[in-house]
Amino acid sequence: MAKGGTATDLALSGLTKVFGTATVVDRVTLRIAAGEMVALLGPSGCGKTTTLRMIAGLVEPTKGEVLIGGYRITRVPSHRRNIGMLFQNYALFPHMSVAANVAFGLQMRGMAKALIQPKVASALALVQLGDYAERLPSALSGGQQQRVALARAIVIEPSLLLLDEPLGALDRNLRESMQVEIRQIQQRLGITAVMVTHDQEEALTMADRVVIMRDGRLEQVGTPAEIYSRPTSRFVASFIGASNFLRGSVAGRNGDQLQVQLASGGQVLVPSADGGRSEILISVRPEAVGLRRIGETPSASESGTPATVQQIVYRGQTTHVHMRLDDGEPFVAFLPNRQGEQAKTFSAGEKVWASWSSQSNWPVADS
Amino acid sequence: MTTSALETTGIASRRPMLPRSLVGLLLLGPALAFLMTFLVLPSLILLGYSVLTQSQAGDISLPLTFGSYERLVTSAAYRRVAMTTLRVAFFTSVVALLLAYPLAMVIAYGRPLASRITMMLVVAPLVVSVIVRTYGWQLVLGNNNTGVLNWLLSALGAGPASVRLLYTEWAIVIASVHVFLPLMVLPLAASLARINSSLNEAARMLGAPAWRAFLRITLPLSIPGLIAGLTIVFSLTAASYVTPQMVGGNRGLMLGVLLEQQINTSFDWPMAAALAAVLVAIALIANVGVGWLAERHFRGR
Repeated sequence: MAKGGTATDLALSGLTKVFGTATVVDRVTLRIAAGEMVALLGPSGCGKTTTLRMIAGLVEPTKGEVLIGGYRITRVPSHRRNIGMLFQNYALFPHMSVAANVAFGLQMRGMAKALIQPKVASALALVQLGDYAERLPSALSGGQQQRVALARAIVIEPSLLLLDEPLGALDRNLRESMQVEIRQIQQRLGITAVMVTHDQEEALTMADRVVIMRDGRLEQVGTPAEIYSRPTSRFVASFIGASNFLRGSVAGRNGDQLQVQLASGGQVLVPSADGGRSEILISVRPEAVGLRRIGETPSASESGTPATVQQIVYRGQTTHVHMRLDDGEPFVAFLPNRQGEQAKTFSAGEKVWASWSSQSNWPVADS
Repeated sequence: MTTSALETTGIASRRPMLPRSLVGLLLLGPALAFLMTFLVLPSLILLGYSVLTQSQAGDISLPLTFGSYERLVTSAAYRRVAMTTLRVAFFTSVVALLLAYPLAMVIAYGRPLASRITMMLVVAPLVVSVIVRTYGWQLVLGNNNTGVLNWLLSALGAGPASVRLLYTEWAIVIASVHVFLPLMVLPLAASLARINSSLNEAARMLGAPAWRAFLRITLPLSIPGLIAGLTIVFSLTAASYVTPQMVGGNRGLMLGVLLEQQINTSFDWPMAAALAAVLVAIALIANVGVGWLAERHFRGR
């Protein structure tokens, strides 16, 4: 069993799970550094939960290995892995008090009663539930229940913390404060953590690195900023945040940038090391886009394309302007409402010039 | 109520013709009348009989007397029958529980196909009459070599007529377990299925081997089903008549059989009524007692 407080690294090597004829997790290989928090993110059915359950030992891998701190634990049963886990439905034992729930893992380790009590008290204090020790879980709110579950998971000083959509059942405001609280505790204790979520915002907020999964495979691994600003594929770009996609053909090369002729009209510069392609797909984030009237001269560092306004949606912080490009593709701009309702000056059916900084062009694989 | 949009459209202005409470009473009425006429009233009459005196001619009338109860308590023979009844009911409940728990777990947690097949196997005997099933046990448990069990054992080299089960308490226990097993399995399976599967996983992750997770999580959370099953099986076994009559013999004499003898052989109706009252009391005490014990155990955790 791992010593308490020492952060341990986790490695997955060729981890594969086949259910019947379906390969749910396909050769997942990933290193997670000691003390790091990694979020597995993807649509339902992408294999993220099965991956987590294989790490937990609740699902047996078809192939591949799980290593904690360099030790192969693939065949070690769950109860000897020393992993703390948070479940979406909290999974508190309904017939035990809060204190008994937290004490459970220590009892299973054969710890003396006199040693258990102070540990339980300090774990409950850590999640600010010291006064609730004698209550039954059913007397607590959802957020409090998940904090008890967190105390129960960390009191055993696990080598790894697994979070299976831990905040999925909470309402939005509570979610945000719990995200911060769990993250702070994880960082303070320096526990290596793996979280599963389908909520991109949660992944970006909480994780050091985000792993995008798709059809059982790793689609992209990177820091939240890398994933958001440099998505490798159309899938990642549209799964994390919103994105516009522009088709174009490479017209020439300008240093380390490609000159691209857009299918919708207009020419843009795209950063790319790969000059061999002739067709290219460009991702442009909607918040990078500004709108001008036709005839206003764009500046030289700008990219742009003509578009027709279709619908204007006021969203408070921003106004979303939905447009159609001349090649029929949709295009959207999120305009900040800094100067009041500026988007009101455009109207549906109007021809506009959508423009953005050339630095916002990012080439993605069309898959 | 103030005027609402509904009222102006005329929907809410239609008052119900009868108050809700009266509607409820009317719906309950037939069942209530049936139970009063054919359960409560006869039970009261029966209870009355148990404290009345029977004349030589067979008429039952005053004076009031507790003579029947007195004989029940003081007579060694009656006490022995009561103890047999309690013992058989107790062992039947325990054996049924031990057999039912794994079956209930397969039904609650097994793969869909295994779960459905087990469920069918458990419920199937219910469609066969108790009498037919008990005749079956007579054939199986027969004390000479025509009994299937003895024939089988002697074929295996255990010697002729090696077990004597028929016309003992154990024959009643075996046959009663067979009859009442579904009534133990069904509430248990329902109770187990209600337990969230992630609770067991959480226990495993916290360091509990499978057996400890079972003892600390699954077992205590299945107590409602356990109580239901135990009280049903205990009460029904204690009050049973057909099974002890057919496979119990004189050594397995139970209160139900004794009651029938009082009516049909001894024509002692006050005594039969007193026995019936005792059976009802046993069922009630079993219900309250098991519930209380389980509750105490539950709270103690």
